[in-house]
Amino acid sequence: MKPTHPELRRRLAAEYVLGTLHGGARRRFELWLRSDPALRREVTGWEQRLVPLATTLPEVAPDPAIWRRIEARIDPSRVQPKPAWWSNLAFWRWSSFATAGLASLLFAYVVATPALHSAAPPDAMVVVMGDSATAQPSMTVAWTPEGRGKTRLRIRVIGHAEMAPDTAWELWMLPDGNKPPRSLGLINTHETQVVDLPEDLRGLLNRAAGMAMSLEPAGGSRTGAPTGPVLASGKCVKI
Amino acid sequence: MDPLDELMARCSLRDQRAFAELYRRTSGRLLAVAMRIVRRRDWAEEILQESFVSIWHHVPQYDRVRSAPMTWMTTIVRNRALDWVRRPQHETSDEGLEHVVENWADDAPGPLDRLRNDADAGALNDCLGQLSGQQRQSIALAYLHGLTHTELADHLQQPLGTIKTWIRRGLERLRGCMDGAT
Repeated sequence: MKPTHPELRRRLAAEYVLGTLHGGARRRFELWLRSDPALRREVTGWEQRLVPLATTLPEVAPDPAIWRRIEARIDPSRVQPKPAWWSNLAFWRWSSFATAGLASLLFAYVVATPALHSAAPPDAMVVVMGDSATAQPSMTVAWTPEGRGKTRLRIRVIGHAEMAPDTAWELWMLPDGNKPPRSLGLINTHETQVVDLPEDLRGLLNRAAGMAMSLEPAGGSRTGAPTGPVLASGKCVKI
Repeated sequence: MDPLDELMARCSLRDQRAFAELYRRTSGRLLAVAMRIVRRRDWAEEILQESFVSIWHHVPQYDRVRSAPMTWMTTIVRNRALDWVRRPQHETSDEGLEHVVENWADDAPGPLDRLRNDADAGALNDCLGQLSGQQRQSIALAYLHGLTHTELADHLQQPLGTIKTWIRRGLERLRGCMDGAT
């Protein structure tokens, strides 16, 4: 159970940073941190208080080979070109996370989303997007394919999302047949939001394989394709 | 403004030259952090390498309002080193630990002397000075060398409960003192 007593929270945060919180208690604490911004601030406070102990250590020069290995890992021009991520099978495989909790999630995040239409839609599509780092659901996108007029994508951001300054989140549709992603526009960290589907993508959306959200410079990708890391992605599911 | 801030901002726009400069300026200090905890150079260098790959990938999400660049990077390295040293297959020998504790007294210049000579460390140094010697030693050993309560109890030859109390009270006083100082 998540700690609520202020004194206990302070103590756990301090011992987490000190390193004396270990084993299962440490893992549990890290889990709480994900959804508790106040606890994260407490931890950051301790990191700042204690860090001079570490940064005043006498320097130890690393072996020059270490930098060469880091460079090879981060510079795509130094390694074999990889296939685009959206055509990579492994990229889709992780999304099996969704199978277990899918039913309850669909209920919680889609059915419980305030309906934009007064009558229940006859047929709806949903994408449960999983966080690329944790494989936990982080966002849902739902829409009614056959609606008249504009198709509106109802987006729900799960948990307390934070966006780094000078960056943007861009939502992409992944068309059928490993074709390059198409931008659906920028989204924000608000829990619920609506994006109007660009007219020219209407036909494609009905056959889309999935969606992804990438981190881009402020204002969005300048190349028309995702340039930053993919933060979340998922497959289209009919409900 | 922290001179590393500009490098971090350029790194988040995928500037590899800025990243090379960031590595040049900080890797020596970060390797020292990992080496204290894992006590083997090859392990520490592997942790440094993995940490910098992770720093490159996560720098666009770095929030300079929340923490200074060096604090953020030190946290990444320390957490990796702590995870590493606590995997059963990576446990260091007790001999290494004995060495750590024995040399604590004459670790010249010791961690506390180094704090005294560092302008940015003023508040931490002053406040550590207000703790009892036992509280100060347990906190510094835990933070710098990654010792757990049980390891501290073994090597300082004190009951586990005593160590836990030293650390808990020491941290409470440290917080009170440092928050009062700012």
